[in-house]
Amino acid sequence: MRLKKTTIGVVLAVLCAMFAASASASPSWKFEAKALEGTETVLGGAYESSMTIPGLTTKCENFLYKLSIENSAGTGKGSVTEVPLYNCSTSSKYCTVETIGAESLPWASHLATVSSSNYIIIEGVKVSIYYGGEACVLGETLVVVTGSAGGLINNTTETATFNATTLTATGTVLKALGQKIEWNGVFPTEAFQWHREQPLTVS
Amino acid sequence: MQKHRTRVVCMALMALALAALGLAGSAQAKLTGEFTRFGNCEYKNLTVKKCIVSTTESGEVVLGNKKVPIEKPVVLQGGYGKAGENGFGQFFGATNGITLSKAPQNVPGGLLGIVPEASSPALVKALIKFFLENKLTGVNSTLELAKPASEIWVSENNLAGEAEVALKLPVQIRLENPFLGKNCLVGSSTSPIKWELTTGTTAPPAPNTPIKGSSGFFEILEEGTILRSKGAKLVDNSWSAPKATGCGGILSFLVSPIINSQLGTTTAGHNTAILNNTVYIASRFAVNENNELNP
Repeated sequence: MRLKKTTIGVVLAVLCAMFAASASASPSWKFEAKALEGTETVLGGAYESSMTIPGLTTKCENFLYKLSIENSAGTGKGSVTEVPLYNCSTSSKYCTVETIGAESLPWASHLATVSSSNYIIIEGVKVSIYYGGEACVLGETLVVVTGSAGGLINNTTETATFNATTLTATGTVLKALGQKIEWNGVFPTEAFQWHREQPLTVS
Repeated sequence: MQKHRTRVVCMALMALALAALGLAGSAQAKLTGEFTRFGNCEYKNLTVKKCIVSTTESGEVVLGNKKVPIEKPVVLQGGYGKAGENGFGQFFGATNGITLSKAPQNVPGGLLGIVPEASSPALVKALIKFFLENKLTGVNSTLELAKPASEIWVSENNLAGEAEVALKLPVQIRLENPFLGKNCLVGSSTSPIKWELTTGTTAPPAPNTPIKGSSGFFEILEEGTILRSKGAKLVDNSWSAPKATGCGGILSFLVSPIINSQLGTTTAGHNTAILNNTVYIASRFAVNENNELNP
């Protein structure tokens, strides 16, 4: 009888812990500890960013983005409206990046809290890459990256970091050539419209 | 004078022999590492863009009532050209003439088509196999190209993108046993079975239902010059097949209808091809460069 009660207790504790970990509170965008009212534009260029299909990494020296943010019903939302990509290259001496472009913009985004960390989740990502190089096996092949990506917000450094860990934590996946790919990127989160030079935080 | 002439002839012969050796040397493939598998690709032909070796390791071909599991590997090899406006590159056959290898697959139940229930005792299965799948009543089914290799078409974007048709393959199925003879064919060069294989999802006519393929797990090898896809699943269950012909030799007029009744309806919606492959693709330029760098 005691064993039965203990078992039920353990099951309940596990269930509570599971719910606590998976529960997504509603974080919002804040400037100087005040919730954003109206909209703001966040502009930036990745400090570093690379996309890896097993065996081939593609990097862009200039990975810029424009994100329009707002709080809606207490939750931070956003819309990636521009993603210009320049000076891209690969880890192979044989493969060049002929063209690369973000498509199906704007990409919707929202904030979410997972296991007490805040994330920005971008959905509907679509980037087309046309590789070149006579000896490159992907030469003249269109590789389309699609899916969604979750990045960890760091209020101290004012950055959003995307990598395998953050994608797994948010249950997001980016795919190319029919399979999951790796994406690493660190993006500054800096406002450029009404709240210029004010620290942007998420909580 | 005589000595001088002999010396000249000897020197000329030696020069010829050396030249022949040199020619033989340059004609030989000297591919290394992962490139060796592309030895039968026309890598010196500038119209070839990519070399391909696709090995079907498992899967099944359902023709009407007959399901034939693929138990012996079948290899498709050669090269393909730049994609045209329709997105397809034309195939170039293997230089050794074996573009699609012939691997006879056992037809379960043999000629009589008696297949034991999966739940049958092992002894029953063994006895049926012994009596019905032996040299006399057992039937082998071999997949063959029905048209020249130039009538195979590849869309690498569809292959990678898991959408629409990735490989157009005109085939015929040869059914063989001592009774059927060697010319019992379903499909022919004039009336081929047209497989339009996809790594995406099919949209077949009833009674078949959609099935899903897969582009597999990609990996780029040899500094970006070779692509390997493991677990690439190419499927088509929308194809139709003509009636079997030429079965039973001179008794074909009697035997072929029996075979056709065994096969049942083979119109679109009643047949399926599922091919599980490991695919290697290389840039022709890289294969040629590997050949030239390794004398």
